[in-house]
Amino acid sequence: MSTENIMFVKIKSATNLGLDTIGIDVEINVANRGLPVFDIVGLPSKSVSESKERIKTAIINSKIDFPTKRITINLAPADVPKEGSCYDLPMAVGLLSLMLGFNVSEDSLLFGELSLDGKVRHTRGALLLSLFAKEKGYKKIFVPKESANEAAIVQGVEVYPVEDLRQIVGHFLGKFKIVPVIYKRQPIIDKKVDFDMKEILGQEQAKRAAEIAAAGGHNFMMVGSPGSGKTMLAKALPGILPFLQEKEALEVTKIYSASGNIPPNGSIIFTSPFRNPHHTISQVGLVGGGSKPQPGEISLAHRGVLFLDEFNEFPRSILELLRQPIEDGKLTISRSQARVEYPARFILVASANPCPCGYLLHPKKSCVCSEREIKNYQKRISGPILDRIDLHVEVPVVDANDLSCSVGASPCGCPSSVVRSRVIAAREIQNKRFSEDNIFVNAEMRNEHIKKYCFLSQEVERILKQAVSNFNLSARSYFKVIKIARTIADLGEAESINVSHVAEALQYRPKQA
Amino acid sequence: MEIYSGENGIITLNDPRYPKSLKSIPDAPEQLYYKGTWDESLFENCLAVVGSRRMTTYGKQITEKLVSQIASAGITIVSGFMYGIDGQAHQSCLDVGGRTIAVMPCGINKICPQYHDILYRDILENNGLIISEFPPDQTSLYWMFPRRNRTVAGLSKATLVIEAGEKSGSLITADLTKKFNKKVFAVPGPLTSILSKGTSQLIKEGAEIVTCAEDVINYFKIKKIKNNNLNFNFNKNKLDDIIFQELQREPLEMDILSRKTGKSIAEISSAISMMQIKGIIRSEYGKYYVC
Repeated sequence: MSTENIMFVKIKSATNLGLDTIGIDVEINVANRGLPVFDIVGLPSKSVSESKERIKTAIINSKIDFPTKRITINLAPADVPKEGSCYDLPMAVGLLSLMLGFNVSEDSLLFGELSLDGKVRHTRGALLLSLFAKEKGYKKIFVPKESANEAAIVQGVEVYPVEDLRQIVGHFLGKFKIVPVIYKRQPIIDKKVDFDMKEILGQEQAKRAAEIAAAGGHNFMMVGSPGSGKTMLAKALPGILPFLQEKEALEVTKIYSASGNIPPNGSIIFTSPFRNPHHTISQVGLVGGGSKPQPGEISLAHRGVLFLDEFNEFPRSILELLRQPIEDGKLTISRSQARVEYPARFILVASANPCPCGYLLHPKKSCVCSEREIKNYQKRISGPILDRIDLHVEVPVVDANDLSCSVGASPCGCPSSVVRSRVIAAREIQNKRFSEDNIFVNAEMRNEHIKKYCFLSQEVERILKQAVSNFNLSARSYFKVIKIARTIADLGEAESINVSHVAEALQYRPKQA
Repeated sequence: MEIYSGENGIITLNDPRYPKSLKSIPDAPEQLYYKGTWDESLFENCLAVVGSRRMTTYGKQITEKLVSQIASAGITIVSGFMYGIDGQAHQSCLDVGGRTIAVMPCGINKICPQYHDILYRDILENNGLIISEFPPDQTSLYWMFPRRNRTVAGLSKATLVIEAGEKSGSLITADLTKKFNKKVFAVPGPLTSILSKGTSQLIKEGAEIVTCAEDVINYFKIKKIKNNNLNFNFNKNKLDDIIFQELQREPLEMDILSRKTGKSIAEISSAISMMQIKGIIRSEYGKYYVC
């Protein structure tokens, strides 16, 4: 056997598991002996095995001869399950390098899915790949053209946009050069928000609560009859949330990249996510899962808002899943094949009717529910969940007469942009305060932080003690009131918490039970 | 489930301890099962307080106000333990340290409605009585409710009706009270409310209008034992005053208060919290009202 008969090459690629990236070596061997077959080994999943057909057809359609030889491809390490279509490009390029005789340098990572006509398609996870490349010291990465901008968010790695097979082959053969992309940071466009705060008439208390929730990252619950404007208010919330900071934005973009939620030519995400799953959602849909765990709605709502409309209609088993992530701000999904941690630090906004028929609080329509039905309905949400919600407000139905006379008058309130500027100011105070602690907002404060940052004067403490006995506040509620008071003080740009801040905060405690 | 391990027993019609007022009605119950300490003084001055199960904020406000003063005067509050006005009447009586008798529509070992178990325990712990003419483990059936109402009316010198719809159980109690030649008091309510229909009808038929607790207390010809008029000495600043005046007219939501006073929600909320802590106002279903 002569040495010419052995044709072997190793190409570097990578796979994403959750938000972690593992380097994968694509080893290709083409042997002259034996029947012409094309084999992929190394725990390929269905989508990887199918890439044989894509690679073969794409090469032929690119007007390059496909070798009638024994081709074996190994994806190493062989014991990690491989999934996804991102190995198409490294496999095809590796094969062609043997056939056409060019070299792919060791410091390059290849990544991308092939189309049958030889084009390279937008592939999920490009951002994670370039972060991995930077960490491991790879100089160049070759990614699909449409994913290139996303990958180029990371500075210090040359990102080569690949359009099709002929182009990348031409680049390696030295016929022409692919120019690395320069990161184009898309201007922060304010995502079109469904509602502006000024469109919501009346509801002064609920709007104030929404502002506090946005400023301090507090979870927020609204109870009211149908048509009172709960959904409208929740949908207006993204309009008053501040834009994400660089660090937060990267966290969010990573999750969206890993789950394939970044559109072609997408860029880093600076607007807070807003997720609004329906109450028929499954457990895996909400918290994430699958044999190769994907992020759920709570992770997609990271650093944004998770809005659960008709809160009481969610099965109890699903709502209980929220308990831990709300506390920890992250969730570890353990499955037989993988164990993945996704961040999930979101503002929970819940809306519910007061009773099954919905009209318990309605001034005109009478409620047809019995006391027992109402009790059972309210019991669907467990104490631990209610306890983790800081702000509770009742949203009354606004009288149509009131509305018509108040159009143009003051009850319409501030437009979202004005509210947002107040929220941003409050967030800046918090950023400064927590610069040494690993938290962002008041809602994340633990008891140690409360002791450190929430000094209470004797008078304030006296009022709080009275409130504890008069309103039957639990220990957790006591600290919740202090946290909300801190946010209210920040909104008023006050250094210390005074009596009126605490007194206002007391109005947002849960009213039932 | 045993939530009370104290005294219980049975008093028959022939027992000298059997309440005289109840004995005098035709078809008086043959026996009374009871829990709690049987104290004959408890039956001397009894007022039945009945009303709708679908209590409104107004009903709650009035019940709290009237019952707390009447109970403070030493009058025993008798009611049917149902949710709504009944339960509130028991509760308001207990809040001021009064004594109350709950007449159950089922056996005394059953708690109907079940979630009133804390009220059940409180009544017993505060020298009240749980009584019923039905065997202790009997569950409630439809026909028992009118029978229960007869006992409520029979035990009492008078009946006070707060909020009643048309054809409601409260009207049955009122009718029985009249039949037994006892006094019926009715609290007027807003004519727009369906829960005023029953009370308005009673007033038309000659029930006495109640506008303050004294109307009822004077009928019992007893002197007030203790004055429980809650006078708060606090420095009313101006906003507190305005809010107080608005709420004296009618219970209001915070949004409306904010619009009426022209103050921000932040100011209104903190004023209201302070007033709540001082016990001047309370809230229910998002509305605030004066105690």
